[in-house]
Amino acid sequence: MQRHPNQLKGSLYWIAASAVGLLILNYLVATDALDWYYAGVLSTAGIYIILTTSLNLINGITGQLSIGHAGFMAVGAYTAALLSVHYDTPFVVNILAAFATAAVAGLVIGLPTLRLKGDYLAIATLGFGEIIRVVIQNLKVTRGAFGIVGITWVDNLFYTEIVVLLSVVIIWRIVNSATGRALIAIREDETAAETMGINTTLYKVMAFAIGSAFAGVAGALYAHRMTYISPNDFTFLKSVDILVMLVLGGLGSITGAVVSAFSLTLLPEFLRFIDEWRMVIYPLLLVVVMLFRPQGLFGTKEIDFGALGAAFRWLKSRFGGAVGSAPQRTVETASPSSGMQTEVQTSSLQPAGVQPDLSGQPGSAAVAPAEPSSRPFLEVNGLSIYYGGLKAVSDFNMSLPEGALHGLIGPNGAGKTTVFNMLTGLHPPSEGEIRFRRKRIDRLPPYRISSEGVARTFQNIRLFKDLTVLDNVKTAFHMNVGYGFGASLVRPPSYGVKERRVTSEAERLLEILGLQERRMELARNLPYGEQRRLEIARALATRPRLLLLDEPAAGMNPQETASLMELIRWIRDEFALTILLIEHDMSLVMRLCERITVLDYGVTIFEGTPDEVKRNPRVIEAYLGQEAN
Amino acid sequence: MLRIEDLHVYYGGIHALKGINLTVAQSQIVALIGANGAGKSTTLNSICAIVRVESGTIEFLGKNITNVPSHHIVSMGLSQVPEGRKVFPAMTVNENLLMGAYSRRDRAGVREDLERVFALFPRLKERRNQTAGTLSGGEQQMLAIGRGLMSRPKLLLLDEPSMGLAPLLVQEIFRIIKEINGQGTTILLVEQNANMALSIADYGYVLETGKTVIQGPARDLAQNEDVRAAYLGG
Amino acid sequence: MSRVVASLLLCAVCILLALLRKYRTHVVSNPALKYSYYPALILLAALGINYLLTALGANKVYTFQQAVYGLSLGSVYALIALGYTMVYGIIRLINFAHGDIYMVGAYAGYYAVTVMHLPFVPALVIAMVASSVLGVLIERIAYKPLRNSPRITLLITAIGMSLLLENVGQKLFTSTPRTYPTIFKASYEVFGVSVDQSRIIIFAVTVLLMIGLQYFVNYTKPGMAMRALSQDRDAARLMGINVDRVISVTFAVGSALAGAAGILVGIVYPQIKPTMGIMPGLKAFVAAVIGGIGIIPGAMLGGMIIGVSENFVTAYISSSWRDAIAFGLLILILLVKPSGLLGKSVREKV
Repeated sequence: MQRHPNQLKGSLYWIAASAVGLLILNYLVATDALDWYYAGVLSTAGIYIILTTSLNLINGITGQLSIGHAGFMAVGAYTAALLSVHYDTPFVVNILAAFATAAVAGLVIGLPTLRLKGDYLAIATLGFGEIIRVVIQNLKVTRGAFGIVGITWVDNLFYTEIVVLLSVVIIWRIVNSATGRALIAIREDETAAETMGINTTLYKVMAFAIGSAFAGVAGALYAHRMTYISPNDFTFLKSVDILVMLVLGGLGSITGAVVSAFSLTLLPEFLRFIDEWRMVIYPLLLVVVMLFRPQGLFGTKEIDFGALGAAFRWLKSRFGGAVGSAPQRTVETASPSSGMQTEVQTSSLQPAGVQPDLSGQPGSAAVAPAEPSSRPFLEVNGLSIYYGGLKAVSDFNMSLPEGALHGLIGPNGAGKTTVFNMLTGLHPPSEGEIRFRRKRIDRLPPYRISSEGVARTFQNIRLFKDLTVLDNVKTAFHMNVGYGFGASLVRPPSYGVKERRVTSEAERLLEILGLQERRMELARNLPYGEQRRLEIARALATRPRLLLLDEPAAGMNPQETASLMELIRWIRDEFALTILLIEHDMSLVMRLCERITVLDYGVTIFEGTPDEVKRNPRVIEAYLGQEAN
Repeated sequence: MLRIEDLHVYYGGIHALKGINLTVAQSQIVALIGANGAGKSTTLNSICAIVRVESGTIEFLGKNITNVPSHHIVSMGLSQVPEGRKVFPAMTVNENLLMGAYSRRDRAGVREDLERVFALFPRLKERRNQTAGTLSGGEQQMLAIGRGLMSRPKLLLLDEPSMGLAPLLVQEIFRIIKEINGQGTTILLVEQNANMALSIADYGYVLETGKTVIQGPARDLAQNEDVRAAYLGG
Repeated sequence: MSRVVASLLLCAVCILLALLRKYRTHVVSNPALKYSYYPALILLAALGINYLLTALGANKVYTFQQAVYGLSLGSVYALIALGYTMVYGIIRLINFAHGDIYMVGAYAGYYAVTVMHLPFVPALVIAMVASSVLGVLIERIAYKPLRNSPRITLLITAIGMSLLLENVGQKLFTSTPRTYPTIFKASYEVFGVSVDQSRIIIFAVTVLLMIGLQYFVNYTKPGMAMRALSQDRDAARLMGINVDRVISVTFAVGSALAGAAGILVGIVYPQIKPTMGIMPGLKAFVAAVIGGIGIIPGAMLGGMIIGVSENFVTAYISSSWRDAIAFGLLILILLVKPSGLLGKSVREKV
């Protein structure tokens, strides 16, 4: 039985649950069982749900700190209001227009701002939020501080529900797809994400624009509900409100955002009696939560329908009735898998002939290694880089044939990682050129170099620590998923096939590297040696032709190092790779590498076979230090 | 003077030190050498409580200083010149040196020591009012060492003083380190440049993946085949 | 015509000299000269502008009047910005609650003056002490436990403290504004420009506090410890610096300055209310960023720039664009030189 992700099922469950809930609500409203006032409160809750989930897309999922969300709400609100008042356009048109204008605003603001990081990004978004408000306050068309009156009132609860449902489903679909994985990768480690072929700038701006667009939609709903809006509805405090809801629910969790927005809108209504002190208790609660449970209610997790389903079936089996003849559901959490069959190849070392079938995929490591061409696979000429006046790497040259296993060694600070950074595009060189498979790749952005077939691991391990082992690898398939943004939203049948394919490919890689057992564990919980192997698995998932390994044996004991050596040799043969390796563990380098380049103070001091290197006096001097006089 | 027993330290998820044993006697220069990633800096950092010690003891002048807050350790007479120099870049040479004497109250003594440092490093005296960030690598190293001396330590820890320096400068620095020891300061020296370190040291320890594998009088270590193998692999 | 050219040249020279900081640090190492460099520049610039305005035939009196107002407002922003920049320099936190500490200072001063009937200087001291204590308390209770937490957690906590202070303030003081009694009634005329005594006091106190702060940071032991901590925390620890204590001192000093700003604002713009801290707080933070976050003279510079710009825009264009000025300048700086006017650009190492 094939494993299948419960993502598809998850959203169906969502829709089912919400549909039921809404039907009940509508019934109550229609029969006047639910007071008109409470219907309004639910409406407001719906608006906040959209606001919070859209902010979650930017802050929680993509990890970009935006605290000016109310500005985009304002853009949408005023769009809808002006259309309604001047042109009396139908509700749907207003919503769509609000979406569009807010999206444009998000694009315009996001492009320059998203270059900044962390705190600077936060205050820039805050600044823009305020600027939007002041601009609205001063334009004649928006009637300044007087606001806009007389917006058409729409039978809000019903329409709100539809819009909320659509918004949440769309955002959910984005997040639980390859796009979502890319966004999360950016959040976890932007540099690592770039080296996996993810165009981080594009994705950041996209998340920002989409998040803003939905804020605009919420604004439009707000306008139609209140029938009167003014700039004061969209101050910094409003942005703070949304942010607080998001954080309390859990940054990164859609479920958390929904639950939090819902409860925090409803709660004050039921606690009217403390309304007096609400504004004191609320921030106090916030501080307390930050001190004791900063991840909020849900952290980054979602409601686990899989586990719920499993629990349900367990109950059923306990208390009678046939045990589910339904196929075994997959579970997101790692339950001790009694009866959890997988049809993935279980042999520990890969049988020959299992090649990824990627007809027509760009940059794929295709079939058996071609005969070594006479041209060098990787050619580096005169590479130099200056760091603040110092020449960190000086005139570096290298020529690797296809299939080489080459070592790069040198004392601390010799410039080895700097060479890697230049090869992968993280730091453009000051001089020189790099040719990979005869194509110039120096000065290209990292994600482009990645798509050419260059992959790397990092000295300081840049895993996505809060993702599972499996997700770490699945993310790296980004360039080869075979579907685009549109398909994530619409989910044609081929989507499921492709997603399953990604999962099984990822599991195969994990199997090879002996990590399949731990695939559901968070990367941060892995022992050090396995983290390093996971990095290698992830690099392999990008279907590279050239693999750069930066101190893969660091922190490993002799047995682990020995098996690593075997592994590297094996993957070089199996995946037709060329491997360049930085290492300090001399026993590994000398026994594994076919040739070695030695760097010292950024200068190449020798290149040759391990035996030659070991005996070269200059190398010995560089490592042991000059002879004392 | 300093005794480390069975020290276990975890750093960045790795079991960095796996039961280190080390002694530094008064007036000695002890060298701690080993390949990169062996745990040399981690050892020094755990002495000064920059890194947390999981188990084991560190004793200084008879007192247990394991995991004692850093600012107390300094006032007990222990000073570290950190890896990469770490001078305060926006402060002048003078201010950096005075920072070294932060924990002291005897103004006269501080002035005395300031002159002493300038005597050791005449180049620093020339650049007294220059901001540390504009100094060359070698000058910064001298400044860092001078700063370490300003607290009038009984034991001076030096973390990779030769890193990134031109060979001629390395010779000078080591000459000065020997001189400092001659003036009465005990020294524990962590170094990449094994030859230079062993040339001025009295005793040496070789660290390999978190364990002290070889130890002995410096002269013996310098001739030792295993030492060479530990650096360049089997 | 030649006058216009001459004065423009003068201004250009001043700007150039101001920008050539490298020149200043390398060549001018004598401390006395170093500190008079900028004031001398400012004086020259002022003369140049005066010349320019005469040449253009502008209404000098009005312009300089606005400049005076701008300087008073700028002083307030500068004092608040100083606290922001000090705290950020040391623990990389945008202390959103800082604007509300300013508010508490204003109220403390109010009570000192109206209820305890104290003259100005003791009231100022009380305002500063009250804010100082509050700042240290907030740090110990809310920020210290989170020192190793992710940025967003700290940010949210700071926002929470800010909201808490505002709302507690509204409960305690009610949202009806209080009015400071007029303490300084005199008003002077200088070249046709009307200058209230209270505005002189604001500026003078700000300058005095700035000088005091510079002295404290540059010439006293705790000040040196603060600077060391902001430049390299681990190295600072190795010097025997008690990191926790220094951070508390930073908060104490920064909050005291905000408290001073609170009472100073009361004597010129007499109305105070519990929500008075929000906007000035944000703008003061912007001022700190514009000048260069973590850099003390930068906070002063940024504060003055925002204060004067706001006033000029209000005077010559319209008051409704006032709030946008600060944020507009912010965006501009972030896009052009994120490290601020007086800041150095830092590259991130992989």
